[in-house]
Amino acid sequence: MAAKAISSPVPVEWYPTLAVVMVSVGLMFTASFFIYEATSSRRSRSLAKEIATAAVASVFLGFGSLFVLLASGVYV
Amino acid sequence: MATMATPLPPLRCATLLLLAVLVGVLASTARADLVISKAERRVDLTSHIVRVLASLKVENVGPDPVSQVLLAFPNIQAKNLAAIRAFSSEGNAKSQSTVLPIEVVQPSGAPPELTFFSALLPKPLEKGKSLNLDVLTVFTHSLQPFPEEITQADAQLVVYQDSAHYLSPYPVKSQALTIRLPGGRVESYTRQPNAKLVNSELKYGPFTDLPPFSYSPVIVHFENNNPFAVAKELVREIEISHWGNVQITEHYNIVHGGARLKGEFSRIDYQSRPYVRGVSSFRHLIASLPPRAHSIYYRDEIGNISTSHLWGDSKKTQLEIEPRFPLFGGWQTTFTIGYGLPLQDFVFTSDGKRFLNITFGAPMEEILIEKLTVKVVLPEGSKDIEVSVPFPVKQSQEVKYSHLDIAGRPVVVLEKPGVIPEHNLYFQVYYRFNNISLLREPMMLITGFFLLFVACIVYMRTDMSISKNSPSYLAKLQWDEVQATVQKIEGMFEQYLGVHDKLEASLRDLSRTGDIQTCKAARKAADAQFKELSKELKPLLTSLQSSPQSYQIWPKVEDLISKEREMQEKLMTRHSTVVDSFEKKLRGQDVENRIAQQQQKIAALRQEIESLLEYISEI
Repeated sequence: MAAKAISSPVPVEWYPTLAVVMVSVGLMFTASFFIYEATSSRRSRSLAKEIATAAVASVFLGFGSLFVLLASGVYV
Repeated sequence: MATMATPLPPLRCATLLLLAVLVGVLASTARADLVISKAERRVDLTSHIVRVLASLKVENVGPDPVSQVLLAFPNIQAKNLAAIRAFSSEGNAKSQSTVLPIEVVQPSGAPPELTFFSALLPKPLEKGKSLNLDVLTVFTHSLQPFPEEITQADAQLVVYQDSAHYLSPYPVKSQALTIRLPGGRVESYTRQPNAKLVNSELKYGPFTDLPPFSYSPVIVHFENNNPFAVAKELVREIEISHWGNVQITEHYNIVHGGARLKGEFSRIDYQSRPYVRGVSSFRHLIASLPPRAHSIYYRDEIGNISTSHLWGDSKKTQLEIEPRFPLFGGWQTTFTIGYGLPLQDFVFTSDGKRFLNITFGAPMEEILIEKLTVKVVLPEGSKDIEVSVPFPVKQSQEVKYSHLDIAGRPVVVLEKPGVIPEHNLYFQVYYRFNNISLLREPMMLITGFFLLFVACIVYMRTDMSISKNSPSYLAKLQWDEVQATVQKIEGMFEQYLGVHDKLEASLRDLSRTGDIQTCKAARKAADAQFKELSKELKPLLTSLQSSPQSYQIWPKVEDLISKEREMQEKLMTRHSTVVDSFEKKLRGQDVENRIAQQQQKIAALRQEIESLLEYISEI
């Protein structure tokens, strides 16, 4: 019944790196989403492509902003 | 400074006299089974918290084995008792000392002016055997400042009252009392024939063969300028985040609990000669934080306080803080200290439950806390919360709403009055938590961002124009259609260019492998593809031409179509020429000559087509 110390699921040293990488990937997908919105015409837009890009971008941005919060000391 | 005579506070004097009278009366309640053969008491008065260590040698002279030892204190002392611990050890060696549980008891026939504690022995003391017992008692508010108000230049004098004879329900064969004073002036002490004051140590005794409940009042009036730091209220908040941090925030309200300052405070006097004018004040407070503490801040309502020093090693982190002003008697200051600790040092898991193992009291040295509130904030989604504290506290639960919370975090609130540094023991809070609940926070953020994107999509797809018949609206609709058609045409041209590339590739293959049949087959396939593409292109061109908004782009598109046709012809002829010359087995140089002119034209056409496509795509 020895007590085992618990630590966070992701090593704490990785937080700043993960934050930068995830936010930049998320911003790239966001840019791709908005470029698609701007250059496509009303007829040729495909909802599936829009939703897919938005979903991937929001996943990366969500995790990225979480790691930004953790890396800057706001342990949510 | 005028020497004060020592008239005692009258109430305490009367009570002491009453006790002295009770000595004879209490003889009837004495116990006849235990005898204390040796009692050595050491009283430490260097700090404002009084510590008394009584080393007793208890002997069983009765017929039956004894399983508990009674300790008695007068009520005035027991009221100020903050902690009592008893240790027992066998024989002379101090290696095996066990902590004994202590209970408050009310023996039969006991007078109401005394409070009794009972130390339960691990195994009963046999007849004729003796046992070494160490009792540590800690008293607060036992040093009375006398005089109660002093000026800035005065030293602080305090009064301590005790008994030279050890108050016990058993007869004491031999005993001695040593009082350790902090150095400095001793104004007066109770003179007795065997009292000696040597080097700031006051010794009374040895006394032999005293009956039980013997009491001989002793009063010491001495100078004590050590910091009387009293925290009127301390709220300690411990927030656990499973992402890797335990954040502790402590809100202090510290007052100088000694003699109050009367008269005015002169800053010039204080700064020029602090050891003469201001000897009773204190400036620094030292806190011992756990090792690997990070992100330490020290602030109050005004803002950050920069007068602090921090140094740390692998065993502890030492923080020395200096409040904004020195504290004289009766003055108070409030501030907040916060620091973060790594999660793996304090939170553990065993048997499926997680628990937090952390110290209960404040990290400040020699501080008396009159009301301590410890709040342990557990992450959202924690269940089955239990607390295990080594001394009695008042427990309650509440909810705190913090970052990214939906239902709030459960908070365990523990309250205890009269906390001294001896209470700085480890306590545990058990709870259940699933690591999946950690994902709730990024899910909230992801959902937030996704809703933003969905809003953009909805905005782009809705038609929010007010009038659907205005000419500008209709023109915009037509332009949208033109744009869509042009994009489709662009797509087709990409395919055309692809076929051109395939033809060129087949020619290269021919020069490499010499397989004429494959080359001819490739040409046939390219031909078929061209025909198909032009068939698909026709309806697009007609719709484009008919749209009124296409006047700008139509000539360019026409140009593009004609150039593409030209290029197709040229490519086809070149292809046939090369295949023919290959069949006739002409030399490479001859082949080059025949198609040189065509090659130039083809390259130029290709350039023009590509620039036109670029222009169209940028409209």
